Amino acid sequence: MSLLDWAKKADFDMMFKRYNVIIEGPAIKPEDDPDVKKVLPKDEPFKSLAMAVIFGDTEKAVQAAKTALERTSPLDVIEKGLAKGMDAVSALYAKGAYFLPDIMLSADAMTAAMAVAEQKLGRAREKKGTVVSFVAEGDPHDIGKNLVVMFLKANGFEAVDLGRDVPDKEVIEAVKKYKPVMLTGTALMTTTMTAFPRVAKALQEQGLAVPVFGCGGGAVKRDFVESYDMGVYGVKAFHAPKLAEAALAGKSWKDIRKEYPKIVGEFVAEYADRM
Amino acid sequence: MAYKDPDEMVFGHAKFPVLEHWNVQFGAGYVVPEVKVAPEAGTERSKETLVKEMASIAEQAASRAVDIGLPAFMLEQEHVFQQTYHPDWGYACTLAQAEVLKKYYDEYGVRAALRQTVGDLRIEEKGGLRGSEYDNRIAETIEECCKAGASDIAAETMGGKSVLDYGVMRGDIKAILFGIGYLGSIDMEYFWTRAVNICSKYDTRPAGDTNCSGANTCMYVAGGLLGKDMSHTAAALARAISAARSLVAVECGATGPLKDCGYENTIIKAITGVPICQEGKNAVCAHADVMGNLTCQVVDCWSNESVFHREEMGGPTPAVWLQATGYEAALMNTAIQTGNAKTLRDLYTFTDMFRDPQGTLLAYPNAYRVGKAIVEYGKDIYLRARAAALEASKVMMEAYEAKLLQMTRFELDTLRKYTSILESLPMEAEIFVDQCMREYPRKIPTFDPKSYGL
Repeated sequence: MSLLDWAKKADFDMMFKRYNVIIEGPAIKPEDDPDVKKVLPKDEPFKSLAMAVIFGDTEKAVQAAKTALERTSPLDVIEKGLAKGMDAVSALYAKGAYFLPDIMLSADAMTAAMAVAEQKLGRAREKKGTVVSFVAEGDPHDIGKNLVVMFLKANGFEAVDLGRDVPDKEVIEAVKKYKPVMLTGTALMTTTMTAFPRVAKALQEQGLAVPVFGCGGGAVKRDFVESYDMGVYGVKAFHAPKLAEAALAGKSWKDIRKEYPKIVGEFVAEYADRM
Repeated sequence: MAYKDPDEMVFGHAKFPVLEHWNVQFGAGYVVPEVKVAPEAGTERSKETLVKEMASIAEQAASRAVDIGLPAFMLEQEHVFQQTYHPDWGYACTLAQAEVLKKYYDEYGVRAALRQTVGDLRIEEKGGLRGSEYDNRIAETIEECCKAGASDIAAETMGGKSVLDYGVMRGDIKAILFGIGYLGSIDMEYFWTRAVNICSKYDTRPAGDTNCSGANTCMYVAGGLLGKDMSHTAAALARAISAARSLVAVECGATGPLKDCGYENTIIKAITGVPICQEGKNAVCAHADVMGNLTCQVVDCWSNESVFHREEMGGPTPAVWLQATGYEAALMNTAIQTGNAKTLRDLYTFTDMFRDPQGTLLAYPNAYRVGKAIVEYGKDIYLRARAAALEASKVMMEAYEAKLLQMTRFELDTLRKYTSILESLPMEAEIFVDQCMREYPRKIPTFDPKSYGL
């Protein structure tokens, strides 16, 4: 009997269930989603700006920004239009309606349009705060760090990207230079993640303690990160801006460890004991 | 194609078996279990502590092999940065493990293979992939591991990763094809021509290379059924493309057993007939996939992927996870000995064939089809990678239309969109590369065309 004969006879429901297909709701336009409706501007030119970001259409976003800037201030273009579009994208991503490529394309559209607005403004818009991000020394895997940087930038933070395979001393120097509200470190391997406690120790010894040192990546686990001061285990890249905002609001790394699920606003299995 | 019919393929049998020292054969009529353990964090602080850790991993694995009566096993050590960066560390660590395995072979006759998987330390924006300090050290370390008694050498090279990562994050199938299929293949030829030359001087097999940094990244990013970072159909296309890329190691002289992690290995076995390592349900210590049984279907060396070195209730992890892979291999070997191998193979395959699009693609009759599509374009690294993706797309769409495979809208939309883009790409490599070179160096600051001779 062949595989296809089995396929005709077998009851797949007794073998597996594709829950992603089962739970999928009807297709709706992003702008009709109730959570998007809450943040989407109703008036022009802000609605067009936000919609271009939601659809990740760089060309349209840039054009919408140019048109809007003829009669609207650059800051309003950014805050009341582009940023609202990004808020909508975050909401769609959080509920599983949008996927990573959608959010990246939206971030690209927002960045391009924001550059047009900032050119008119004559300076970069004021950022919420600075975060320094690096990949541990000896580790070339940087997709996680790139996501963290993207989410931070999209949420209005200045993200200083130190790259991958970054020696500890370069991280220390960057903290000294930028005085970040948060430092993030990522690593894929167990033997490169040992950079994190070394960096934390060196920062403390030099009186450079940061409010939060968010650490994550393939082999990194919460118990390891909580074994050294300042460390907060970051579960998902898109949690990074929420942790940075918590730090900006005065939360310490100890507070953030305790309140992680509340701060990121969702169930987090890795912090189930802190729900 | 090494096999006239996909039904000829079954676990434990390869057209071209490989013999390694201490009398271990791969693909010669039995399945070899494998264990792989990452050293405890902190042991990399000095050469002495790391060597001690390596010996301890080998001792714990070998003693459990004897305790539960395994006829043969493979110990694989994936290098940490320091082990490859310092060739003398690589030598000492390999020697420590080789001595343990030889001791057990001499004392009990337990056949053991020792794989050393060097780390690909090279970084495009830090000296490039060719001739940099990192690159030279990798070559030196391969040689030192051979001298110290490695049975085979494997790698997970990173060529094309900067472009691939861009493609994954932006849903750009052209970048995925260029990154894995074109750039990855170019770098594989560079890396494996050299590795094969080094290994040929010793009693060490040049085993092969899996696209961990590409297709496995896609599978990892795609996650489980509720993952929201990458479509599973896109991950399946990346896997098909990676087969055309990982094939290059064999074309350069790699013999197998091809490196695990390599879910693309079924496709390469269909083309080349070399033995393969695979991982699946006994790699739950390392990651979750949606085809845990299916990957047993034509395996020759069954692996646990990787696990931290620590204590479980059942003992230290080298022992526990060798026991897990050992018993699964024992089931397969029993099936071979009792004439039930093809039945068990099909049960493994059918369990996961329609659980997910990735399983549909890799089910051995479908993997064989993708292999045929690759072979049709011979040595054209671009066209064969493109053909692999297009055939993979057909396989998934056929299963969907037959109402065997369910897909979400996201999976289906992605598949249709990517297929249409792939179909529209030029039929000449030069034109494709020209298009990509106009676009990606500008968009990806870490992409270094010189690393690929471009």
